[in-house]
Amino acid sequence: MPTVVFSLTDLQDLVGQQLSPDKLESLASYAKGSIEKTNQEANEVTISFDDTNLPYLWSVEGFARLCRGILGIEPGIPYIKVAGSSLSLIVDDSVGVVRPYIGAFLAEGKQVSDAFLKQLIQLQEKLDESFGRKREKISIGIYRAGQVKFPVTYKAVPPDSVSFVPLGFPHEMSLRNILEEHPKGKEYSWILKQHKMYPLLVDAKGEVLSFPPIINSNSTGRVLENDDHLFIEATATDKHGLKIVLAILAFALADRGFSLSSIEVRRGSKKAVTPDLAPEKVNITLGQVRKLLGLELKNKEVIGLLEKARYHVSTTLSVSIPPYRGDILHPCDIIEDIGIMYGFGSIEEKPLTTYTAGKSNPLHDFKKIARELFVGLGYQEVMSPILSSLNMLSARMQLSPLSDNGKDSAKESPAIDNPVVIENPMSETYSCLRSWIIPQLMDFLSKNTHNPYPQKVFEAGRVAMVKPGQGSGQKTVAEHEHLAAVSAHDSVDYTEARQAVDFTLSQLGLAGEIKKIEHPSFLPGRAARIIIDGKAAGFLGELHPSVLETHKVMVPVVALELDLDALFELVTK
Amino acid sequence: MEHITGNNSFDAEEINALVESLHTYERKVLAALPQASSISQIADAAKLQEVEAMRGLQWLSNKKLVSVLETAQEVVSLDKNGEKYKKEGLPEMRFLRALVKESSVEETARNAGISSDEISICLGVLRAKGAITVKQGISTSISNDAGQGRLVALRTPQGDRLAGEKSPEEYFLQKKFPLFLNGIQPDDKPALEQLRKRKSILKVEKKTLKQFSLTGLGNKVLRIAAVSGDVSDRVTPAMLRDGSWKQKKFRRYDVEVNVPAVSGGKFHFYASFLDRVRERFLAMGFAEMAGPLVETEFWDMDALFMPQSHSARDIHGAYYVQDPKYGDIDPKVIETVKASHEVGKGTLSKGWRYPFSVEQARRHILRTQGTALSARAMSLPGLGIPGKYFSIARCFRPDVVDATHAPDFNQVEGFVIEEGLTFQHLKGLLRLFAEEFAGTSQIRIKPGYFPFTEPSAELFAKHPQLGWIELGGSGIFRPEVVKPLVGREISVLAWGIGIDRIAMFNFGINDLRELFSSNLAVLRAMKVS
Repeated sequence: MPTVVFSLTDLQDLVGQQLSPDKLESLASYAKGSIEKTNQEANEVTISFDDTNLPYLWSVEGFARLCRGILGIEPGIPYIKVAGSSLSLIVDDSVGVVRPYIGAFLAEGKQVSDAFLKQLIQLQEKLDESFGRKREKISIGIYRAGQVKFPVTYKAVPPDSVSFVPLGFPHEMSLRNILEEHPKGKEYSWILKQHKMYPLLVDAKGEVLSFPPIINSNSTGRVLENDDHLFIEATATDKHGLKIVLAILAFALADRGFSLSSIEVRRGSKKAVTPDLAPEKVNITLGQVRKLLGLELKNKEVIGLLEKARYHVSTTLSVSIPPYRGDILHPCDIIEDIGIMYGFGSIEEKPLTTYTAGKSNPLHDFKKIARELFVGLGYQEVMSPILSSLNMLSARMQLSPLSDNGKDSAKESPAIDNPVVIENPMSETYSCLRSWIIPQLMDFLSKNTHNPYPQKVFEAGRVAMVKPGQGSGQKTVAEHEHLAAVSAHDSVDYTEARQAVDFTLSQLGLAGEIKKIEHPSFLPGRAARIIIDGKAAGFLGELHPSVLETHKVMVPVVALELDLDALFELVTK
Repeated sequence: MEHITGNNSFDAEEINALVESLHTYERKVLAALPQASSISQIADAAKLQEVEAMRGLQWLSNKKLVSVLETAQEVVSLDKNGEKYKKEGLPEMRFLRALVKESSVEETARNAGISSDEISICLGVLRAKGAITVKQGISTSISNDAGQGRLVALRTPQGDRLAGEKSPEEYFLQKKFPLFLNGIQPDDKPALEQLRKRKSILKVEKKTLKQFSLTGLGNKVLRIAAVSGDVSDRVTPAMLRDGSWKQKKFRRYDVEVNVPAVSGGKFHFYASFLDRVRERFLAMGFAEMAGPLVETEFWDMDALFMPQSHSARDIHGAYYVQDPKYGDIDPKVIETVKASHEVGKGTLSKGWRYPFSVEQARRHILRTQGTALSARAMSLPGLGIPGKYFSIARCFRPDVVDATHAPDFNQVEGFVIEEGLTFQHLKGLLRLFAEEFAGTSQIRIKPGYFPFTEPSAELFAKHPQLGWIELGGSGIFRPEVVKPLVGREISVLAWGIGIDRIAMFNFGINDLRELFSSNLAVLRAMKVS
């Protein structure tokens, strides 16, 4: 959710009206935004916008433009004048693989004010980082146009073939060196990692303007307060996004009083003029409005509402979309704006009247029954995160590291199946999904050694394991509901766990075999598997003292873990 | 002296009841009291541990059968060396006994196990008693060139006599401590004074002395208790079998006294809350959905028309599964969703206009949103229309765990599918939720943004204490979501409730992690509601 800081007075100047805090809050809500903070002293307002597909709002000029529509100061679609120019930008085919698209324009006739420069830098950053996916998709360059000799060429070159002085550095560096040593180079080098040729923008004198999307040159690529002649370009891997970004920048500069002129982008024999500000059109119908919003509106009303949202609408409801909006994919996107301008609060409410029968998930019902049995046995239910760590699931339970787990030991010891491991964990503590629950209950006991005993706790919930799949070498994920319980007190032994298992099975109308197993988490000769109709349905045992020692639990503990999916299948058979 | 004031005329029945309520400790203490008054004496006489006697006395005192007199007393007890000498004997006597005729002091001390810092006192005391004489000897060792090493002691006849008996000080140490200073016999005084002068043998401290005596009521009870014979503590199976219970008296318990706490089995408060949420949805006619935690990007995002370059779809937005990296999806469903993304095929949409990657769609992640279940449900051939659907889904996003981010969290999500539903019905549904889950009909609906709904709205409800709180998000599924999954365009109202937040309000919890509290005391103390 993008958050931007605007100057309050700058915003009010651009809107052309004083804005009280309430009015500002209300205007922001039309833009799916909310006021995070207003600092009158610093003359600042911080707004967060929900809609990541409306980047024009991240410029104070864009937000003010919408406000002027809502307030009736300037309804309808905004138009700006872009003078044609003979200046051109030549695109070499070599950029095709690495970063194929570029567009540019010129702005002049006005000095860059301090407030505007701040906004321009913020807008460029937000567009690059958020809309441009950290510059991978789109990145913007702004230069002092007076120092640029046209035509400018956009091409890709080998990393060591060109050197120039990058912004903020005192000496020349090759493109490779920039990626390795310059702070911006290091930050964004991942974008070019797999490429052999790097994008470069040079002017007719052969001066390097920038190394997109990494860094500008120190001589032309630094815009200062009071500059009055700017060259603005954006490079992209996404053609559609590029068009939107150029339109957002063009409108922002035009709203500031700059005169714009276009640039001709030449790609071989193909020529295109940028920025492309021709509005796209979408037709809507009153029927569509009625169907989505339930509102019975007339053409005139629809036109009035959409003009507040800065569209142009013909009498036949052909809607022209401002070129800086890239979020309109379908008539429903326009109809939402009708609803917003009408006021969500003003739309009548209707109850749902059609009868439908409630239907529960039978496995979840079964899980509730199993939980009730353990409450009846005197156990306190606990709730753990499903995220866990290999350390908790294996090492702390005296199991060998999971990677060493041959199929044989997995067969012998239930629940040593490989857990599902996360590639990008935030911390080691939460780096995989639990494959069994007993380790988490042991962790619970270890955190409660100061509380009175007996301690009897259980948890029912999801576990996940990586299992062999259909083909050879194929793997698949199996998810089951488990119920695990531990009992810790001076006089507990295997019998208590066995009694709980026997009680549960008999209450479910199941008869099973209890077969002894060896399991490193349990004392030898005090662990068993539950087998029903030849199917493993859980296991139980008395925890090995060394596991207790690891968890600093100073009373004996017995544990059981039931596979509720397996039991449910048996019960419903 | 009568200690019970006010209405002290107990009738026989009441006294009998008192007698029957006496615990074994109380009985024994009661019987011992006429002859003993201090706690140690009483414990001795009653053949109880001091703690047991103390408990008996405490109970008797509560019942006003015993009175306590507290006086300040100087008490003599053994100090560190006193304890040691009581066991081993005093060092000077050990020295004297170890001394054979005329011997080196050092050697004698060593033989008697006397440390070097005790030697001077030994020699001093023994010389004062005329038990030894000491003179300078001839050094036999180069190292012992000075001091005691060269001293030689000779036992006198007086010494020979004293060595054969216990010294008065030794007799004194054998007494049962602590002793009251003012209760010490004149004969013992010299020994006391001797020992007090020496280091860490005796301690004299001011203490409050408790003396216990029977009250008038206590005397009456004792007389009856003495004749009433034994009282049984418990009903035993044996008594029931042989009928001997008929001859027994059973002790009356103090039923009003506090007893140790026990903890019963119960549901976790949050699990119980979620159970009730589930029951309410079932009662409102919603059908429950289920699905995997390990999900493909396809169901979590692509099927919901989130473009593959969406910012929620990178390492900061979702947990990626290491192995297996990819899952399987029905190729037919993938094709329709792909065409919807690329060119908006099937609807009036322009689509996102980018090349859709099937490989990315198959990538395994941990479910980031409960809406994935709605996408799966909508694609099922047996989808009931009209229908209402919900699920309580555990979801995962890579966030640093803090007061507002648990390692994983719950979302309650669902949809309502029916021809002809509009935003007006969505508003009606949201009001119903506010009434059901926040107990208020004061709601505010603001424009919101979700990639898969248009229009999108956020629901706020007015909490009686906390003011406006965000309950959840909602909207009408975009045609680009519905058409590829359901096969036709139809109104589908989508909604999600931040159930963890509502539970926090409900339980007055400010830290999300407390919903998953691992503190047993907290879980045990939580009221059932």
